[in-house]
Order: sequence, then structure tokens, then C-alpha cells
Amino acid sequence: MNRIETRMKTLEERNEKAFITYITAGLPNYEKTKEIIKTSMEAGCDVIELGIPFSDPVADGPVIQDASFRAINNGATLAKTFEMMKEIRAEGVEQAILFMMYYNHVYHLGVENFVKACIESGVDGLIIPDLPFEEQDELKNELSKYDNAPILIQLVAPVSKQRIPMILENARGFVYCVSQMGVTGNGANFHKEIREYLENVKAVSKIPVMMGFGIRTYEDVESLVDTIDGAIVGSHFIKLLDESAYDCKVSADYIREFKSKLND
Amino acid sequence: MKEEKYYGKFGGQYVSESLMNTLDELSKAFEEAIADPKFIEEYNYYLKQYVGRETPLYKAERLSKKYGAKIYLKREDLNHTGAHKINNVIGQILLAKRMGKTKIIAETGAGQHGVATATGAALFNMECTVYMGEEDIKRQSLNVFRMELLGAKVEAVKTGSRTLKDATNEAIRSWAKNAEDTFYIIGSAVGPYPYPKMVKEFQKVISVEAKKQILEQEGRLPDAVVACVGGGSNSIGMFADFIEEKDVKLVGVEAGGLGIETGKHASAMALGKMGTLHGMRTYLLQDENGNIDLAHSISAGLDYPGVGPEHAYLRDSGRVEYVSITDKECMEALMELNELEGILPAIESAHALAHVIKMAKEMKEDQIIVMCLSGRGDKDINTIQKYIRGEETNK
Repeated sequence: MNRIETRMKTLEERNEKAFITYITAGLPNYEKTKEIIKTSMEAGCDVIELGIPFSDPVADGPVIQDASFRAINNGATLAKTFEMMKEIRAEGVEQAILFMMYYNHVYHLGVENFVKACIESGVDGLIIPDLPFEEQDELKNELSKYDNAPILIQLVAPVSKQRIPMILENARGFVYCVSQMGVTGNGANFHKEIREYLENVKAVSKIPVMMGFGIRTYEDVESLVDTIDGAIVGSHFIKLLDESAYDCKVSADYIREFKSKLND
Repeated sequence: MKEEKYYGKFGGQYVSESLMNTLDELSKAFEEAIADPKFIEEYNYYLKQYVGRETPLYKAERLSKKYGAKIYLKREDLNHTGAHKINNVIGQILLAKRMGKTKIIAETGAGQHGVATATGAALFNMECTVYMGEEDIKRQSLNVFRMELLGAKVEAVKTGSRTLKDATNEAIRSWAKNAEDTFYIIGSAVGPYPYPKMVKEFQKVISVEAKKQILEQEGRLPDAVVACVGGGSNSIGMFADFIEEKDVKLVGVEAGGLGIETGKHASAMALGKMGTLHGMRTYLLQDENGNIDLAHSISAGLDYPGVGPEHAYLRDSGRVEYVSITDKECMEALMELNELEGILPAIESAHALAHVIKMAKEMKEDQIIVMCLSGRGDKDINTIQKYIRGEETNK
């Protein structure tokens, strides 16, 4: 069974909410990325979203744009990230890890080669913000050829409205609820109809509902926590790492605190 | 539904989920508008009375005599604001108004589309923000000043390469955030569907006029039609009404920069590497890791790493031939048009001209070439001066 789905099932059985963090692959370097993944998992992070730095990250705000830019300048690539994944799996990390990436990287490698590389290196899921439902057939066809292929995580937005049932019909793992219009990391400026929107998704979804974009602390989501099954923190987590000079103790403490409040 | 969003395997809508309903609304509003005679009447009114259409189709006598074929110039440089860009802006801004949007955003490289959009926004009393790379702001300070005079806000983009590619990224981000009241006016034949279709629709007036004019002046269709290609808006407009005329050879001219072999160029189709960027699947300049490469051209308007999806399709289907012209070749052609015809073309348009000259040398005296002179060169005076003095002209 897929690691993400296994984890979601475990959490459901324990009646716990999930906590997911995003980090940019290769920032500041791959050794550190591995260390952050390991310490974050030990601190209770349920899934790691590993961002593949792209030259033109249109779905990302300033923090992740800057992180991607620096990672690329430090030599981070999709190929090296696959290598790092192989290493970390060989080192015994068995938790769920997914790639957040842009479609050009998939396309550049070739969809078939890409899917094979994901399987060989133990990638459990994919979040591709510039690949909306209508453009997914090519990738889905390739993924469907293998039992152990990563799952494609579906995103919904506050304005998705009538599209939600279509998007969620065959969705797997969890559904990623984008909490605001625009890009990642825009403070806690959630959409004005955020509650109604989350309730709507929750009502339709057969899988856990995660909320992401602009979340910094537990307090940001406190008033909405009854409508979601977990939270995703990206830009704020990158900032935290940057400001602490990649002190994994600082990030682990942050995860512990968020996770415990979420399940209090 | 899906089929119509594609040109063969190119095009599509590679955008975030937040924009899918917006694109759907836009498609519907656009189709309704162009089927509405009142909308078309209004569009035509502004093209005639405000933009100054129709533009002349001028036979460049001395140039023709020198190179041995009849060379006709479609004078888009004589439009209000000095280039073809305004045709599309008028169309899209009327659509924005019809959709009840109050704010306009746009991206710009050299500033021509930015100036055209700021002009339209002033005309129709809309709030306008133009995204422009910090590098381009430095290179094109006069156009920045013009946009500000027109009441637009110029937002400096400080990410990535700080040029057109990044300005477009930032415009897309801002649009995803504010789509509920904001209309994004894309200036080139790029972006997610229906943008390439809209831009073609609002630029096809170039070829509709040119076809009528050449029939009046020569009594027959031309042997060849030539236009420069960055994202491809003037060229798709120039080709549109000739695509079905199978005996007319169509040629698109990309910017060859310092030469394709140097890697410093803007010829996305010369290498033929497909990818996805700015909402579309098309040919893109990319590095070995799948990141988008920087384009290089003396002309800021062609300095774009991709090309409109319909051009990618027209290349693969063989209907249009795409070639490259280097910085040096286009500057020689630019000088020559000044000397022989008293016309200062935009550096973009001089790329098309340089190839027209090459073609004319191989053609017979009674053969006809029509090229799109997409803009005037006043905006390029500083670059031209630097080039003549042998100074650095790019970056």
C-alpha cells in the first residue's frame, strides 16, 4: 500500500490530525535536506512535501521563489533529488515523502522515465500545481500502469465550487485545500468564505482534507480545525529554517508544538 | 471541449486550479463577444478612429529595386502607440469592460505592450498595473515614464532573471490572487487557452487588411508573407488570413541573437524542445535540468524563451517555415531601411526585414513579398546608438 495512504489510515484509526511540512530540495544542500527530513519525521511530521526547485515557480510566493532560486544556484536538480531519495530510503526512512513540482520537469524527463524514476527512488506522491484536472490524463495513464506508482494529489481552490466533485471523484491520499487565492505564503489571509468552502470539500471528500497556503502557526487554523483533517506549512517552515541557520532542533520543536496543539 | 484548447499537441491550460473557472468564464465571454455584432462594431470603431487603421501597405520601391523582388511593408508602425500591440489591447480591454472587470494587469518586456495597455486603460478609465522586470525597467526607462504618464502603476519584478519571463510569472501570480475583479491582458500569442486564440482574433486585422490591399495593388496574392516571432502576436495576425491560401509561403523569423550555435539566442523553435510554461505547452528554451533558459536578443520584444502554441503547431505541420536572424543581420537591415526608404523600424521588425532581403535575392522581379513592419524604432534609439558605437546592448 502507498505510504501516504497507509499514514492517513493510521491517523484515522487514531483519530488524529495530520501535520505536513514543505521543504525545498537541496537547500542549503542535500545532506542538510536529508537531515531535515529525518528530524522532522522523528518530531511527528506525517508527510514531507519535497519541493523540486524550478526556474519559474508561478504558484509560489516570494519565500519559496527565493528558496527555489537559491537551491538551483546551489546545484539542486530533479536528478539529484531522485538520488537523494534513493539514499534516504536505503538509510531506512520509511515515512511518506511526496514531490511538489512543476509539470515542465516531468515533461522534460519524459512522463514514462519520470514515473519509473519515482518508483525506483521511493516517491509516494506528487503535487503539481500547474497541472489542473483537465491536463492530468497523460500523467495518470502512465501512473496507472504500476501498482507502486506515486499517487497524484488533487488540489482544490476556494473558487473551485462546481468542479469539486469532479476533482475528488477518484482522488487518493488526501485532498489539498488551497486556503486562499493566489500563491503560497501570503500570511493568514484566508479566503473570505473559507469555512463554507472547507465544509463543502469535507462533505464531498472520501479522503482526508488538508489545508495549506499561508499557514504559520496553529493559531492561524484554530478556528477552522473542526473542518479539516490536517494542515500543511510551507513558506513559514522555510523561513524558520533560514532564520535558524538550518537548526533542525528549532524546526523539530516547531513541528512538535504544532502537531500537539492540532491534536489537543 | 479539450480538443479546442489545443493546436495539435500544443496549447492547453497549464495553470493552477484557482484559475480554471476564471479561464472558463473568459472563454465563454470571449466567444459571446466575437459573435456579437455590437462588440465587433465597437472594436472596429476604436481601431479606425483611435488607432488610426487601416494601416498602409507600402511598396518599398528602392528596396525592391535593389534586391529584385516586390517588397511590400504592412505599416503597423503607424498605429497609435507605434506598434501592432494596440490592436489586441483594444479587443481585450473591451472584453474586460463587457465582463464588468475594473482592474487591468499586464506584463511587458520592452514596454510596448505595457504602453499600449496603459493607453487602453486611460481611454476606458480602468486601474492599470504593469509588471516589468527590474532589468527591463533600467533598459527602457522612457517607456516606464510613458506608462506612468498614462496613469499606470509599473511594478518592478525583482525575481529570477528580472526580465519578461519573470514579469509574466508575476502577472500570473497577481492574476491568480485577484481574478475576481481583475482582467489580465496578455500581449503576445501565448498563455493558457483562450489567450492564444484571443490574441490571434484581435491581431488578424493585419492580414485581413493586407490581403485586401495586395489584391487591390497587384491583383493577386503574394508569393510570400514574412513576420518576426517572439511570442508571436504580430506574426499570427499577419499569417491568419493567409493560412488557408496554400500557394502563399509563410515565414516566421525568430531572433538568433549572437547565433544559434552560441546558445545566446531567442529561437525557441530552432531547437524544438517541448515543455510547459506560462499556462501552455509549446517549444521552450530549456537547460539540461528542465529549467527555463534565458533568451538573448538585441531586441527586447523578441527576448522570450517560448513561442505561442499555434506557431509550434504551424511549424510541425509544415505550413509555416521558421528561421533565425542574428543581432548583426537585423541591425544591418534596420540601417538599410533608414537609408533607402526613410523608415526607422523597430529592431523586432528588422528581423523580418533581414530575412525578406535574403529571400528577395533568390526571387524573380515580379514575385511579391509582404512583410509585417510591426513597430517603429523610436523606442530603440538608445540601443541603436550603442550598437553603432560598439557598446554592450543586451544585459
